[in-house]
Amino acid sequence: MDKLLDLWLASGIYNISVGQFAMIVVGLLLLYLAIRKNFEPLLLVPIGFGGILANIPEAGLAFSAVENAVHFATPELLSGFAAILGIASVDPHDVLHAYHTSTASVHAAATLFANDNSFNNGMLYNFYTVAIASGAAPLIIFMGVGAMTDFGPLLANPKTLFLGAAAQFGIFATVLGAVTLTSLGLMDFSIQDAAAIGIIGGADGPTAIYVASLLSPQLLGAIAVAAYSYMALVPLIQPPIMRALTTEAERKIQMVQLRHISKLEKILFPLSLLILVAMLLPDAAPLLGMFCFGNLMRECGVVDRLSDTAQNALINIVTIFLGLSVGSKLSADKFLDIETLGILVLGIVAFGIGTAMGILMAKFMNKLAGGNSINPLIGSAGVSAVPMAARVSNKLGLEANSQNFLLMHAMGPNVAGVIGSAVAAGVMIKFVG
Amino acid sequence: MDNLLSEGLTLMVFGMGFVFTFLTLLVGVTTLMSKLVVKYEPAPQPKAAPSRSVSPAVAQGGSDELVAVITAAVHKYRS
Repeated sequence: MDKLLDLWLASGIYNISVGQFAMIVVGLLLLYLAIRKNFEPLLLVPIGFGGILANIPEAGLAFSAVENAVHFATPELLSGFAAILGIASVDPHDVLHAYHTSTASVHAAATLFANDNSFNNGMLYNFYTVAIASGAAPLIIFMGVGAMTDFGPLLANPKTLFLGAAAQFGIFATVLGAVTLTSLGLMDFSIQDAAAIGIIGGADGPTAIYVASLLSPQLLGAIAVAAYSYMALVPLIQPPIMRALTTEAERKIQMVQLRHISKLEKILFPLSLLILVAMLLPDAAPLLGMFCFGNLMRECGVVDRLSDTAQNALINIVTIFLGLSVGSKLSADKFLDIETLGILVLGIVAFGIGTAMGILMAKFMNKLAGGNSINPLIGSAGVSAVPMAARVSNKLGLEANSQNFLLMHAMGPNVAGVIGSAVAAGVMIKFVG
Repeated sequence: MDNLLSEGLTLMVFGMGFVFTFLTLLVGVTTLMSKLVVKYEPAPQPKAAPSRSVSPAVAQGGSDELVAVITAAVHKYRS
């Protein structure tokens, strides 16, 4: 009978909290959106599944050794931790608080003490440490994105870089929105949190995760989920804004065919970009450095095997671990919060403003160029979301004029948006990091 | 509170300013690079490569001919 009671006391049903149950439902919802509605399935499947794993009661998959030890601790163990952390209280909450705010050496001592008492890091916690806390996974994915990116359309029409710059306004407007909400007392975001939330407007998953992991790790789960959900919603969010800001005549504008780009230009472009980053904004060097490296591997033509690995096998492997690690941050106490709602709302506003500014910039450039050479629809592709945003531009162009193929023209601002949001990320890290 | 707002405003002005400056410079550098390449790059070479690799092999006949055909096919596939 005692054995039966033990089994019951260790069961999930006995131990599950309301929050954990709610988060498992959120995880299932993400899986539903990914599998049934095809929302960025490559990321939302691992994120949703990671979220469910992280909330399994008593398993402690998303917790460090010390957190697990404190959860199961006996009084002696707690007083041991209190001694290491230099606090008088043996209340589990105080111990955890002291642990989270301790210096690296105390942190390590507490971890070793937990290991001595045979507690270990949860699996997802290890994934998170290796993949995200180290910064590795978003950067490796950025290298793969670089290896997949063709800068041809951008090189044929370098002015489209301005569209990529204009669309980044959404990022900074959202930062302002987040601090305004804080000033009004509605939410509680620090300037670091605000900067990390703003990056959602860049519509670039790896950049958003990279910035959040540096500036505001506690919001990472919500930010990553918002960023990837909105990237999936690009075909729904952008068209109404694009229609509202352009006239029928503007949407019909046909653009001249792009010139041919030589191989040498494509090789020299990532190198020029790299040198410019090195000279002007070293804080963007991790992101843009990996991006340029990936692109150089693609274009130089002598390391096809490496380029192939970077854009297929490697990016897939890293995506699995990145997704699971993000899922590990979907714990109830962090996610079920009014601030998550704020992040979701601010994220979509960021997206809308970025799209609108891209379109307005394109209209302005069209006016400057005589009014009949740049279709403003390509402006919305300045938010990164490659290649979804460019496809949306193409679709709306075809609706207005069935001979109007804007896809290649929209790829220019689209890849410019990737560079733009990485530069914006570098600025954020520089100013508030 | 006002401090936070002004911090946000500063970030917006500086950030946006920097993004534009950076990308404007990139437009300049890219345009310059393209001009230089178009001016100095010799006429396209890649067309010469396949004929060079095929012609010496064809002359030998027998199983060598087979090897040549396969080599040419591989070259075609890779290029």
